[in-house]
Amino acid sequence: MKRKYVIISIISVVSFLLIWQFICDYAKLFPSYVLPSPTKVLITFIKKFTNKSPDGATLLQNLFASLEIALSGFALGAIIGVPLGIAMAWYKKVDLIVKPLFDLLRPIPPIAWIPIMILWLGIGTTAKASIIFVSSFIPCVLNSYSGIKQTNNVHLWVGKTFGATNFELLRKIAIPTALPYIFTGLRVSLGTSWVSLVAAEMLASTRGLGYMIQIGRVVARTDVIIVGMLTIGGVGALLAFILQKIENNYIKGK
Amino acid sequence: MEKLKLEVRHNFIVIEYALIAIVGFLGIWYLTTTFTNIGKLVPNPIQVLTFFFRSFVVPIGGNTIQEHALISLGRVLIGYSVGVALGIASGIGMARSMLFEAIFKPLFEVIRPIPTIAWIPLAILWFGIGEMPKYFIIFYGAYANVTINTYAAAKSVNPTLLGAARMLGMKEEDLLLHIVLPSSIPQIFAGMQSGLSASWMGVIAAEMVKSNNGIGWVIIMGQESANTVQILAGMLVIAIMGFLMATGMRILEGRLCSWNQKKI
Repeated sequence: MKRKYVIISIISVVSFLLIWQFICDYAKLFPSYVLPSPTKVLITFIKKFTNKSPDGATLLQNLFASLEIALSGFALGAIIGVPLGIAMAWYKKVDLIVKPLFDLLRPIPPIAWIPIMILWLGIGTTAKASIIFVSSFIPCVLNSYSGIKQTNNVHLWVGKTFGATNFELLRKIAIPTALPYIFTGLRVSLGTSWVSLVAAEMLASTRGLGYMIQIGRVVARTDVIIVGMLTIGGVGALLAFILQKIENNYIKGK
Repeated sequence: MEKLKLEVRHNFIVIEYALIAIVGFLGIWYLTTTFTNIGKLVPNPIQVLTFFFRSFVVPIGGNTIQEHALISLGRVLIGYSVGVALGIASGIGMARSMLFEAIFKPLFEVIRPIPTIAWIPLAILWFGIGEMPKYFIIFYGAYANVTINTYAAAKSVNPTLLGAARMLGMKEEDLLLHIVLPSSIPQIFAGMQSGLSASWMGVIAAEMVKSNNGIGWVIIMGQESANTVQILAGMLVIAIMGFLMATGMRILEGRLCSWNQKKI
């Protein structure tokens, strides 16, 4: 029974590709700058490992340029965001002061920061890393915050009864409780980092996957765009997968 | 009574601190921009607010700022409603029919991880520079999120409910409408929430890449003419609208699935 559906899936994918190929190469419904055939996309993908046209870098160079900035901005956002979220949830005063400011910034989507960052910091790495920072910072704060708030009061009372200091309560009880939430925050952050990086590269950059698809549009190389989109999607899924694996190894008793 | 008083007192403290924080923030912003060199790069809050209020009557480009905001909102409404409707349909379809799932799930899985924004260049090449590419981007943002959430929800409908309905003689096609859909509503809403923010982000990005009106255009024009005041005023509008949309969705959710409210 299960086998039958696997076969149907394979037939579905294969026929999708065949119809696509047929439309492009034989029926010629669309010119190739509108929709390149799947074989052409595949060839472009393989060629792009060595070929620098049209955007001046190979696929791997673009990929690493993007990854470098996305990951460094993400790390910065996590390093500042997670402790801030924890502090906001644990210390009443911090919460009262920071929360209103944070609520003001929160509804601004990360990509809306792009113009102002570019104007202030130029189109280099700093501007992009700052945009990524803003976009990864917010989910980190939100999730760590709600994670700490989930701490069971009974656990805290037990800790207090046994004479734990406030900081010990935080470190030994609240943070372990919040870990799954913190990891969710990290995963969401990584996703938004990757997305905003692509947007930032599309608007102002000279390197990276976003830049590659943007140039693909300008010179009407749809095959390059599709290769870029699939790479962006694939790498995004891979990053999420890696983080999920780390989470599964690290968090016990979920 | 005593409890009520405590609550009022608590709210009062929250508001008090919020005011201190915001006034303090604006004060520091104002002082640093007025008395240091940062002022050359960063406008002070009074300039931003003045620009914000003035742009309600003085147009930026061809439209006033509220018109730009409404233009963006109108685009979102069109693309979003189509995306949500189709997303719910395909999510339920994939979850409840093995054949449908076998055919479309693999294709969907390839497309799903591609971020909304990465579709912009292709959408512009396919649909030109008019309204269509924007609708498409917004549609995709909503569709991908709603589909995946609806699918997950409809896949995990409580089998006891389905069994009970079947035993009482409900027809298969009625099951979808009366059991599967209602029990999936909370998660569909979660998908609609994330879909709305993806759509909203998508429309701003699309307007930033290629457009001649809309709120995304306002901030990108600010960048091109090095007009920081305009960018910050635009961001303020974006923040207000984002906040209103999220709140609106939450109220709607509260109305539609009051039986499922999480107790906090």
